This record gives sequence, structure tokens and C-alpha cells, in this order.
Amino acid sequence: MKTVFVRQERCVGCRHCEVACAIEHSESKDLLSSIQEKTRSKPRIFVEVIDNYLKFPNRCRHCDPAPCIQVCPTGSLYRDENTGSVLIDYLKCIGCSVCAMACPFGIIQFQDIPILNLNREVNAKCDNCIVRLGEGRIPACVQACKTSALQFGEVNDLIRVARTDFTIRMITSRGADTEVPVIPKNIQAFQAVMEKLASLS
Amino acid sequence: MTNQDIRAEAETRASDRTDQEIIRKTLEEGVETVWDRFALQQPQCGFGQLGVCCNNCAMGPCRIDPFGGKTSLGVCGADVDTIVARNLLDDLCVGAAAHSDHGREVVEVLLETAEGNAQGYQITDVEKLKHVAAEYGILTDGRETHDIAKDLAIWILEEFGTIKNRIMLSERAPAPTKETWKKAGIMPRSIDREIVEAMHRIHMGVDADYVNLLLHAMRTSLSDGWGGSMAATECSDILFGTPEPITSVTNLATLSHDKVNIVLHGHNPLLSQIIVNTAEEPELKKMAEDKGAKGINLVGMCCTGNELLMRSGIPIAGSFLDQELAIATGAVEAMIVDYQCIFPSVPATASCYHTKVITTSTKAKIIGSIYMEFNPENAIDTAKEIIKLAIENYPNRNMDRVRIPARPMKIMAGFSEETIKKALGGTYKPLIDAIVAGKIMGCVGIVGCNNPRIKQDYGHITLAKELIKRNILVVETGCSAIACGKAGLLVPEAADLAGEGLASVCKLLGIPPVLHMGSCVDCSRILVLAANIAKELGVGIGDLPIGGAAPEWYSQKAISIGTYFVASGVYTVLGIPPKIFGSSNVLNLLADGVKEITNSTFAVEPDPLKTADLLEAEINRKRKALNI
Repeated sequence: MKTVFVRQERCVGCRHCEVACAIEHSESKDLLSSIQEKTRSKPRIFVEVIDNYLKFPNRCRHCDPAPCIQVCPTGSLYRDENTGSVLIDYLKCIGCSVCAMACPFGIIQFQDIPILNLNREVNAKCDNCIVRLGEGRIPACVQACKTSALQFGEVNDLIRVARTDFTIRMITSRGADTEVPVIPKNIQAFQAVMEKLASLS
Repeated sequence: MTNQDIRAEAETRASDRTDQEIIRKTLEEGVETVWDRFALQQPQCGFGQLGVCCNNCAMGPCRIDPFGGKTSLGVCGADVDTIVARNLLDDLCVGAAAHSDHGREVVEVLLETAEGNAQGYQITDVEKLKHVAAEYGILTDGRETHDIAKDLAIWILEEFGTIKNRIMLSERAPAPTKETWKKAGIMPRSIDREIVEAMHRIHMGVDADYVNLLLHAMRTSLSDGWGGSMAATECSDILFGTPEPITSVTNLATLSHDKVNIVLHGHNPLLSQIIVNTAEEPELKKMAEDKGAKGINLVGMCCTGNELLMRSGIPIAGSFLDQELAIATGAVEAMIVDYQCIFPSVPATASCYHTKVITTSTKAKIIGSIYMEFNPENAIDTAKEIIKLAIENYPNRNMDRVRIPARPMKIMAGFSEETIKKALGGTYKPLIDAIVAGKIMGCVGIVGCNNPRIKQDYGHITLAKELIKRNILVVETGCSAIACGKAGLLVPEAADLAGEGLASVCKLLGIPPVLHMGSCVDCSRILVLAANIAKELGVGIGDLPIGGAAPEWYSQKAISIGTYFVASGVYTVLGIPPKIFGSSNVLNLLADGVKEITNSTFAVEPDPLKTADLLEAEINRKRKALNI
């Protein structure tokens, strides 16, 4: 199963993923043209923040079984069997927002879809960039992320990397000399300053 | 929001009682302020905050992965050190240019005054004119004041050019300090030249060595502190008088219920001082009375406010983060702005009330404001026109929406270098003796702005209180001075909050333990003060038990000030992290390596109590080196 894995500690809050997502779901799929379109495309990934230094790029996890699919009264939500993505048939959506109530991550947002001109707001959740996946490309948000806070791949592989990182760090503390990616000291210093700033009375 | 929520929110945003009251009003009325916009901007881009984003050329924008991933070079090949150092130099240049271009305008008006072309201006401080002229080698004996002023203005204007290859004002630095600059190759050559050269170096394919870039940043900052800013201070003093101790009041309660309120906001005293002089005219007073007001109430804001407070005792309504709050009292007829630190959204805020925003500089127009161009040739005419416009607006004040806090705070200001020396009896010996005896451990300059990242004034006030408690004399400029003024630290009675030694000296001289030295260009006064004390001791500025701090800075001007402090030998603690954390090398150079050159460094510490610890440790280090 392929997924977008989030390494929260690497997110710098640049919101480049949000911009790339909005462009990908616009009519023109081009930065300069998309901001001129009549119905402006909006991001389907959300960089949430606490105190300007703790950030988390929140995005559909494409759950299986998916609570949103289970509760949708019109059957507008469905699964793409090839990629495992949870997709929506915009035309069937009645905008009741029950899916949003069921979503454990709160990432469902309603908007007018640029290409369809429905003149009503429907569930415009992350579609995992299904078109790009079909072309053998990775999701737009992952491609846009320059700090690898978002990574796309086989979920177990990505988890294994995280696990190995942790394991090697533990072993390193006991004398092993293997180097693994950790947060550089200067970035740690910056985060410490921001944390202190946020905690001043 | 419930009333309780509103109260809590106001308390998180600002320290001052009157600020909190008006913040509550903005929340009740739904008037957007800087704090709302700050919240809407979250999260702010980490690439930008770390300084690793380069948007200089059209191959970019590029950004370096701060976690050491593949994106380690820009398209041009610049590494993270080059990009961070270039961005810092770029920011510093903006600050130096702002100070120095302000300075240039003051010198130009001095010249026009000398030539008899400026309406309403005169040479007020002839003694200072002669003193500065003598430094330039201009003959003063038996010459007409205007001739001396003309020569001096032309000489100082040449400091901006490239012919002389040196800045005369920087000769004021003590010999060991100048030696340091010469050795490091950072002696400033001209005010404009360093800025232009910096812009050149920032271009792709020029300077790629972060050490070389940072050395030039230091030289550029020196051309501001010992050049442009110093020219602004000296020529403003010559034109309007060198400040002397003066008492006045501060905070939003300085606005009047029954007079025409005019807020003078920005940085340059050129127009505002003429407005102050003109507002006294009976014709205008009568006009205000005819409109139902009891007179005209001028109040300052930010550094324009500081300039007017220092010389004329004009009440100061507040600092940088108070500009919207003053308008939100609903009692301001006109806010007159020159330039720097004016929120571009001020006309939008003003449109929620009857307030008219008047822009006056050809360099600083804002859509939605009324533009009334100010020129020295017709300064009085323009000033009158502006005051009349404010008076005309008085009947539009909606009394139902007015809320002016009660109880302004008393302050004492006007501590120019000359005045401090005079208070000490014409020599720094008493101050030096007090420092040697340990009554006063040292001196710290707290400067800089407000920043919505930190509760307004919290950093300034907490640090100042902590330092004076530890017998460290505090001198201040800019928003920092206003913050401590609002908190009641700028009065002689505040000596009770100081340690025993400092308190005894303050009480003896009748001065506050926190001295207001002026606007942000007047940080040059702090340099002259340090230089003169160092000269009396026969040491460099880097040897003195002094320090600097900018607990709440936001502006690029503060980067220039902080850097000329460090380059001059003054250890400086920043409360807000500069955008350099993306590069360990740049960070290490500024926090450590530079010590070898100037015997001073930068530090970053948001907690004002810990900042006090750092400054005290530095003061003790330097005391020890001086064997005191």
C-alpha cells in the first residue's frame, strides 16, 4: 500500500504543498493562470500550526475502511482499487457534510470545483493526485516538499526508515558510529528560541 | 468572544493598561489590527524564517533544505552560508538606507536653511554647529552662522558621496576602535557607497564568501551609525536644538476629549517640528474654538514622537504597535505621517472612524490617505494647511464611539550626550568613578521596536527593570524608550526600583535610572557617549563594561543598529531571532567568531531575565579585563 507519510519534525511551514495542491486541482494546472480562474482552486492539504514553530501538514490518510465512505448517504465516496485512494463523485455529493463529521482528521473541506462549475460547494477532499499517479508521478504536495516532510512510498518501507532511524539513534548512544538523519543543531537552536518566545508571558 | 475572552486576549497582546483598554475596543468593534493579521499569517514560512530562501534572480526562487537533504545548493550554486549571509546583508542595507536617507534630508534642510530658502527653520543650536564644524576643520571664528552652516551642510552631504573615501564623523571613535576597523578592513568609506557596494555584492556571481559578506555588512552598518544616523542627529540638533531634560506625559491617555487631536507619526522631525511651532498660532487656536474644540492637542508616535518629545516635550501617545490603537480611540482627527514604520493599512483602520491620514513625503505615499506634499520652502504653509484639515474634521468625531483611557504616565526625556555630560559636571569622571567603585556596574543600551511575536513592551520593561535592579544604568531610544516611559521607568522616582548603588547616583543627580536618549537614529548618541567615555579612559569601546539589547525588534533598521553596536565593540542581545539560523557558519561567526575582531558578539535570547544574565556576565567580563 502506497501512502504519503508525514515526518512532522521536518515541516518548516512554507505551505508550498498547499500551493502545489491548489494548482494541481485548478483548471489550468499552471500557477500564473490558476490564480486568474473564475472559480479559484483551493488547497486540499492544510499546514496547521501551533505557536509559529510546531507545524503539521494535515492531509487525507485514505483510510481503509474509510469512515467517510461508510457514512456517505449518496454513495458519492468510493475507493479506487488500484491505488487505494478514497475518491469522490462530485455530482453525487449533496453537501450534507456527514463525511466531515466522520473524518478522524478533520481534513474534509467543501468548495466549488473549478472545472465543473457546479455553483455549489461539494466535498473537495484530497484525491491523492489520482491523475498523476496514473501517469506514474507522485502526488503534487510530495513533489513540492523540499524538506522531505512529505514522503510518498510503500507505507511499510517508510515506517521501516523511521524505525531504523530510531533504532540506530538508540544504538549510537551506546557507542555505534552510524550516522542517521537527525535535526541539525542550528535548526534545533532555532526551534528552541521559537519555543521560548512562544512561552513568554 | 465573551468579555472575559476579550480581556484575556488584550492581556496577551500588550503590557500597558491603556493599550489593553483600546485593544479590547478593537476586539469589541471588530477593527482589525496587527495582532489579527499576525495570527492570519501563521504558519510563517520556515525557509524565510531561517534565511535559506533566495529570491534574488530569475533562475530562482531557490531554497535550501535546512535538514541537509538533496536541495543543498541554489540553481546558481550558492550554498546555505552564501544565501543566509547575502540575505542578512540585504536586510541590513535596507535599514542603513532608511536611517541614512532620513539623515540626508535633514542635512539638505540645513543647507536650505543656511541659504535662506527654508520657511520656518533656523539655526537653533549655534554652539553645536560650531562644535561640529570644527570637527570638519571649518573655520568658525568671526564668521556668520549661516556661512558656517552652509559649509558644514555641504561637507556632510559629501559624506554620502564617494570622493573623500572616509567618513569624518567616524573619526569620533576612540583610536583603538578605529584600529580594529582598519585591521578588519571595515572602516566605512562613505554612506551611500557601502550600501551600493552591498547591493553589488548581493548580485549573483559576486560575493559568495559568507565571511567577506558579513565583514561588508559590518562596514555598511558603521556607515549608518557613524555616518547617516549620526548626521541625522547632529543636524536635527543644530536646526531644532540639542535636547535637554524635559518632562512630559505618555500613553494613549494623552489624547484629549475636547481638543483637536493630531497624531504625528513616523521618524523625521522636519515637518512635525514645524507643525509643533505653527500650532501655537492664535489664528489656528481660534479656528479650533470655532469648531467647538477647546484647542489643539498634538501628540507624537514612534520616533517622530521621540524627536518632538526630546526637544519640545510634546506628549507621546505610543510606539510602533500603538498606531492603530490611537486611531481606534475614535478621537483622532488626523494622523500625519512622514515615513518608516507606518502600517500600509493605516488608512483602512482610519476608515472605521473619522480619522484622516495625511501622507507628506514623496517617498511614502499610501493609497487611501490624503497626500499633502511637504517641502522646506513652504513648510509653514503646509503645516497650517494640515492643521486646518484636522480642525475641519473635529465636528465629524462621533462622541458615542470615543473611548480615551484615563491617567497618562509622567516621563522625563531629553538625555542627549551633551546633556548627560553637563549633568555630570562637564566630564565623565563622576560616572567613571561610580563604575570603578561598583556603584554602577556598567551601562546597557536597550533599543528597537515592538513585534507582535512578543507581548508588547514586555521584553523592554522586564529587561530594563532587571538591569537597573542589578545596578546597570540603562539608556534607551526608539520604541524601547516609549515602552519604559509607559511603564513609569523614565521618572527620577523610578530610582527606587534600582539597586542601591545606581539608585544613589540617580538620586544625587535627580535623573531616572533609565535615560531616554531619543529616536532610533539617535542610537548614534549612544555611540558618541560610549566613544567619549572610552576616550577619557584611553581604551576602545570594546573594552567598556557596556552592552546592547533589542528585545522586541522587527525592523531591518534594528539589524543595522545591532551590527554597528557589535562592530563598535558592544555585545548585543536580540530577543527575536534574526533570519540566519539556517546557516551554522553564519550563526557561529556572529555569536562567537566576531569576538576575535571586535571583542563583542551577538546573542539571541527571547527571555528578558536570561538576557539580563547574559549582559551582566559580559559586563563582568569586561570589568575584569579592566581590573575593576
